[in-house]
Formats: sequence, structure tokens, C-alpha cells
Amino acid sequence: MRLILCIVNVFIGALWYALPNMTRRELLFAVPVPPDFRQSRAGRHAIRMFRRTILAVVVVAACAVLLSPAGLLNATAAAAPFAILLAGGIGFRWQNRRLAPAAVQFTRPREAEMTTAADRLPWFAWFAGGPFVLLAAAAIWLYLHWDGIPARFGVHFGAGGQADRWAERSIKAVYGPLFLGTELCVWILLMALAGWFGSRRSRSRPVMLGGSIAVEYLLGLLFALIAVQAQLGIPVWVIAVSPWAILIPLIIVMTRKMSEPWEPMDPTPNECWKADILYYNPNDAALFVEKREGLGYTFNFANPWSWALLLGLALVVASAPFVMA
Amino acid sequence: MYTRHAMAQSPRIHIDAASGVPAVRQIVDALRVFLVEGQLVAGDKLPSVRRVAVELGVHFNTVAEAYRQLAAEGWLDLKHGRGAVVVPRVAPDVTDGARNDSLRGRLRGLVAQLRAEGISADSIAEELRAIAKVVTRS
Repeated sequence: MRLILCIVNVFIGALWYALPNMTRRELLFAVPVPPDFRQSRAGRHAIRMFRRTILAVVVVAACAVLLSPAGLLNATAAAAPFAILLAGGIGFRWQNRRLAPAAVQFTRPREAEMTTAADRLPWFAWFAGGPFVLLAAAAIWLYLHWDGIPARFGVHFGAGGQADRWAERSIKAVYGPLFLGTELCVWILLMALAGWFGSRRSRSRPVMLGGSIAVEYLLGLLFALIAVQAQLGIPVWVIAVSPWAILIPLIIVMTRKMSEPWEPMDPTPNECWKADILYYNPNDAALFVEKREGLGYTFNFANPWSWALLLGLALVVASAPFVMA
Repeated sequence: MYTRHAMAQSPRIHIDAASGVPAVRQIVDALRVFLVEGQLVAGDKLPSVRRVAVELGVHFNTVAEAYRQLAAEGWLDLKHGRGAVVVPRVAPDVTDGARNDSLRGRLRGLVAQLRAEGISADSIAEELRAIAKVVTRS
């Protein structure tokens, strides 16, 4: 289990490490720069400093997880990824501030087609129904094998993979993960549809939709596995590792797709980016715009629908104690 | 400001936020070109205000105002629930003298603006001749 925890930490660190390469050429640490800037001395220096920071924290975190006493393993397992995320965030912001003077403003005309033709979803949008089928199948399977479910089973597991909280067999305890998984999948689906219809037409838009559907599958699979874990005796490490089977290919595919220079960068005004991460432009009707850091799209926080969608997520999270044992 | 595409494609309007020209004027000017040149004809429906605003990265009110201005000029019908529909338009009758004065004044203003932007007199004259040929054909 320590090894798996260590691999998870290294993977989180690897994501941070690769972050400068997971954006368009025209962006570096969320700062809009000329495409050849990252090859310049200043660009290479910023990437090198960021990566050294990440590398140092990942080595410390991995050693802590591998070598900590058994009594401290739970605390170390929780603190290590948090430390890597924090270091990555601070390192990113540090380089962002350093490169800010090199920022340029993207300028290109925007265009709109004067057509009333329906803005149809791509064919693969039908796959968004798959995770719901998966969750429903798990629910039916549990219903049919109700008597085989242990009267008392583990619902929370420590870093060592051993159950440390238990629940009695009940509707809430057995079906709770499926309810929560369904809520999350509905929210992701709403986000995907809002992203499709609330963003500018571009070649990145289908990539974003596909990525959202993949995340839906990830959540559907994860919560279906959690729900049937007690009945099938699935090891915790399988549940911990299974999301990565979707996440890793997803990150690789999205990185390749989104970083292709197939379209110029959306010329969102620099002054509308708060800390170069949050977009707030009351004069832009778009609900989603292309991010300036990492992959995908982000909200236009000046659009009230962005807050409605975030409220939806807050409600889903808040409902967890009520739907799960 | 605008581009012409093959007949099978719908016309596309372009706006440039860096041009200094207000977005509403860029939209009105671009659409008026399509209307005058017959790329948008009576009966054609324009896309929703929301869709155009999202694509152009402007506020809904900017596109709505552009549609209203064109409706006021007699190009569009903006009945609630039907969207913006192109309607047949008869050009207002203006006396020759007034028309010539207005035309000359506006063209001179435009030429002066273009010269101020650094475009050579020869280029402007060449473009005006090309436009004159299109206008006399239509």
C-alpha cells in the first residue's frame, strides 16, 4: 500500500512537472507570451526553476510516505499529496508573477457565422449515457444479490488499506455510493452541455466535450466499484488505481489535442484574467472560455450561470452525508 | 470587417476588438454589407442574439442593439419569439442634390480617415474603383 501511495504522489508530481508542456505554445505559467518565448533564456529558466521546486517536494513526500512509522502513515499519506499540490501552486504563481512583464495581448478578429442551423452535439455525445448504465447495472446487481452483502462492511479505509469505519447493511449504506455517483455524473453532464452551448465554436470544443464524458466514466466506474466492493471483496488498491486507467490516457490525449497549433488562441482581454487564472468579463457572453493554465476550459465568472453550476456542485457535495452511510 | 464565402456557406461577420471601432458599429456595418450585396435576402433568419454574442465575445446587448439599429433602418423585422428576419426594404427617396452632398461628405470623411491610418491614396483609389465596378453591376 505504501508503494501505491508513493506512486500516486509521484504521479501528482509528474503532472505538475509536465504542466508547462500541457498548454499551448503561446502560454507559459498562464502568461500569454510569443510562441517562441519558452525557448528563450527567460522561458527556459522559469520552467527549470518550477520543475526543481516540484522535484524537491516530490522526493521529500515520497520518502515520507515510504519511511514514516506505521502510526503516522495515515497523516503522512494525507499530507504528502497536499504538500505537492501546494508546492506546485506556489511555484506556478511565483513563475507567473516573474513572467508577467513579458505578457502580450492576443489580438485576432472573432467571427460569427450568420446561420440559424442547429448547433448539434457530435455523435459521441451519446456515450454520456454510459456511466448511468454502469451505475444502474451496479444497483440492479446489488438488488439481485442483496442477501450476499455482509451484514456489516467497511465503508472507509486507512492508508494501509484496512477498513477503519463500518456500516450496517441498509438501503443508504449499500446504494449511497451509487446515488452520489449519479449526482456527480449528472453534474458533469450538465457542465459538458453548458460547455458545448456556452462556448465559442472551435476545434477545442469537441475535445472538451469528450474529456467531460471521460471524467463522467471515471466517476461512474469509481462509484460503481465502491458500491460493489463489499459484496465482491474488491481490494482497496484496485479501487484506488482504477480511476488512473481512465485519467492517464485522458490527460495524454487531451494534452496532445489541446496543444496542437490548429487555431490561434482565443483573444480574451488580459485585464479580464484575475491572477491569470480566473476569467471575469461582463462584456463577454460566453459561459466557458479556453483556460490559460492546464487543459480545457474555465468559467467566465461574470456569467451568472457559472455560479449556478458551482452551486450545483456544492449541493452535490453537501448531499453526501445524507445519501451515504 | 467581413468576408465573402462560397454561395453554399452562410456569410460570416468578423469583429476586431483591437480596431478601436465599437463592436456594435462593426456588427451593423458587416451585416449591412451582406444585406446590400444580397448575401442576406428577405426571409432569411439571423442567428439568435445569444449565439452571435458568444461567438463574437461581446455582450448580448451589443448584438441586440445592432439588430435594433438594422431594424430601424428597415432591414430587419424583430418580432418577439421569431428572432431577427430580413425583410424587403425600399431605399428612402432622397433628392439628387442632398444625396450628392451627403455621399461626397461621407466618402471624403472615410478617405481622410484611411489616409490618416497610413493607407496610400493610390490604394484607396484602386479600391474605390473596384467597389464602383461591383456597385454598377448590381
